[in-house]
Amino acid sequence: MIEKFQEWYANRHEYQREYKERTGNKIVGYFCTYTPEEIFYAADVLPVRILGSHEPQDVTEPHIFSMFCPFCRDVLAQGLKGKYDYLDGITIGQSCLHLRQTFTSWELHRNPGWSYFLHMPNHVQSKRAIPFLVEEYRLLIKKIEELAGKEITDDDLRQGIDIMNKVRRVMKEIYEFRKKDNPPITGTEAMYMTCAQFFTDAREFLPVAEEVKRGLTARRLDRDQGKRIMLIGSENDDIEYINMIETLGERESVGCTVVVEEHCTTTRYFWDEVDTDIDDPLRAIAERYVLRTPCPSKDWPKRSRLQRILKLAKDFRVDGAIIIQQKFCDPHEADIPFIRRFLEDNGIPTYFLEFDVTVAAGPFAIRTEAFLETLEAEEDLF
Amino acid sequence: MSEEDKPEYWRWTESNWRNPDIRWEDAKIVTAGIDVGSVSSQAVVMTDGQVYAYSNMRTGSDSPESAMNALNFGLEGTDMPESRIDYCIGTGYGRVNVPMADRTITEIACHARGAHFIYGPGVRTVLDVGGQDCKAIRCDEKGKVVNFLMNDKCAAGTGRGMEVFADLLSVPITDVGQRSFQVEDEPEPVSSTCVVYAKTEATGLLRKGWGVNEVLAAYCSAMSERIFSLIDRIGIEKEFAITGGLAKNRGVVDRLMKEIGLAPMKTDWDTQIAGAVGAALFGYVLVQKGKGRKG
Repeated sequence: MIEKFQEWYANRHEYQREYKERTGNKIVGYFCTYTPEEIFYAADVLPVRILGSHEPQDVTEPHIFSMFCPFCRDVLAQGLKGKYDYLDGITIGQSCLHLRQTFTSWELHRNPGWSYFLHMPNHVQSKRAIPFLVEEYRLLIKKIEELAGKEITDDDLRQGIDIMNKVRRVMKEIYEFRKKDNPPITGTEAMYMTCAQFFTDAREFLPVAEEVKRGLTARRLDRDQGKRIMLIGSENDDIEYINMIETLGERESVGCTVVVEEHCTTTRYFWDEVDTDIDDPLRAIAERYVLRTPCPSKDWPKRSRLQRILKLAKDFRVDGAIIIQQKFCDPHEADIPFIRRFLEDNGIPTYFLEFDVTVAAGPFAIRTEAFLETLEAEEDLF
Repeated sequence: MSEEDKPEYWRWTESNWRNPDIRWEDAKIVTAGIDVGSVSSQAVVMTDGQVYAYSNMRTGSDSPESAMNALNFGLEGTDMPESRIDYCIGTGYGRVNVPMADRTITEIACHARGAHFIYGPGVRTVLDVGGQDCKAIRCDEKGKVVNFLMNDKCAAGTGRGMEVFADLLSVPITDVGQRSFQVEDEPEPVSSTCVVYAKTEATGLLRKGWGVNEVLAAYCSAMSERIFSLIDRIGIEKEFAITGGLAKNRGVVDRLMKEIGLAPMKTDWDTQIAGAVGAALFGYVLVQKGKGRKG
């Protein structure tokens, strides 16, 4: 059922090269989900998110510090190794400094001829964030128009909004199935889907996702769901890890299903739609990005994310949450004690894992398994 | 001296034990816990929740074989057939490769439960220093894990590292602790517990004229610092107990306890069998509750 998404995940470059040839559209790579994809779609430019390859690499050392998060190093390695040489441009909506350095280094050494740094405000809780961002978007639009060779009208923007909202909606509908007992879709499968969004044209992704949605009604998985687990934290597309913990039950006495995540590769990315009741499409887009589930780098002075996390945890009826931090990811690290305390106070046990995208997932198996054991009903063993 | 004649300073004595006061023939429920670790393997056989026999051996290159050897060695001289065991739980690094196991439980849960048994129900923080990793575990009054932390992916500051050091300095592993205190002044710890770097540093110190005991002191001290940073992160609640082979090394334990400012709990049991004890106990409860094989 999700083979197409697996294929897109595994062959993202092939898809994108072929797409470019087939459509003649330009492709811009972006580094962070604070990039307004709506505006790129409005100009018939395909925005694709650049993720790492999870392979050890030795090319980023002269560019960014080794105490920067492994994700941003892995991403930069993709550029330095020339894996994205077919891109027409690169861009970033400012979020964290580590990823910004990735952008800067890529811009300096592998510039595809078009690059743009979007001043996405970090103080999104400020009243001035939305008007500020609208003006920034105007500058971005001018720059995209240069690349696309066409003018972007309000109708184009509405078109872009429509494209993105439809995908967001279908993903949320698919996530509804994960609220069920014995969900008909595993966390591994869901992660293939959410990541495939980054690599494909939303209009080509949509019909395949719709088909999955229809198929899920009748789908039954021949597996014990085990404990219902939520993943929370930094960028994470570590499918190897998710698959490993979801298959623990085949080898060990405890098992689990990942029923929801709060990552920028999943719900933080697609959960919030653009409000189409707002007349000015640019303002509507700006509102969406300012008010969306924030990355912790922007979630201050109030930690608004906590309530959103708790709501997801309750709606998806999780037994426990695993907090994942990419090593050295400072914004997430600073949030961890608060998230853990908040969830524990609300009766949701947590466990913390420090990830490194380029390191094997194996050693995390025992930690996850031991955490699952602590969630077991006590009466059996004591 | 040829390679074969070279004394193996790292080698500790394998052992087995049987409780002379128990007749296994009288037991209602017999359970076994087999802990196949990266360096050592233990088998514990329990009769009605009491330790009847155990063994403690070095893990071989083959996990299923190590599990079988440990069980056979534990049952040596008891006449108890393996088939008498009602339920067997595999734990440790090689837990999925214990052929006679009815189920697996992680060594984290088993060490907490085992420490609760061998040290008594007062234990709340368990430090398990194994062959290749180190775990700090917080547990409740039943011995159930509340929280735990593990060190990162290498053998730095663990049992195997200590074995390598014993070999490097030609000091029998069982003498390391005692000799590390035979120094006039406590030296600075070596700067790294990474076995490779620490070996290089130790060689340098010896060349500088340091005595073997001083180098041992510096390494024990570095290990205790590393272990302390792990348990400090999880927070220490009284009572505090140490399981695993390193619990037998006073050079590390005494330095660590000084840093913690607590006296560790004491036990007459072999601290290396804690994991297997916990496994056998879980098996006993499962059988009692009708969730195990028997009944």
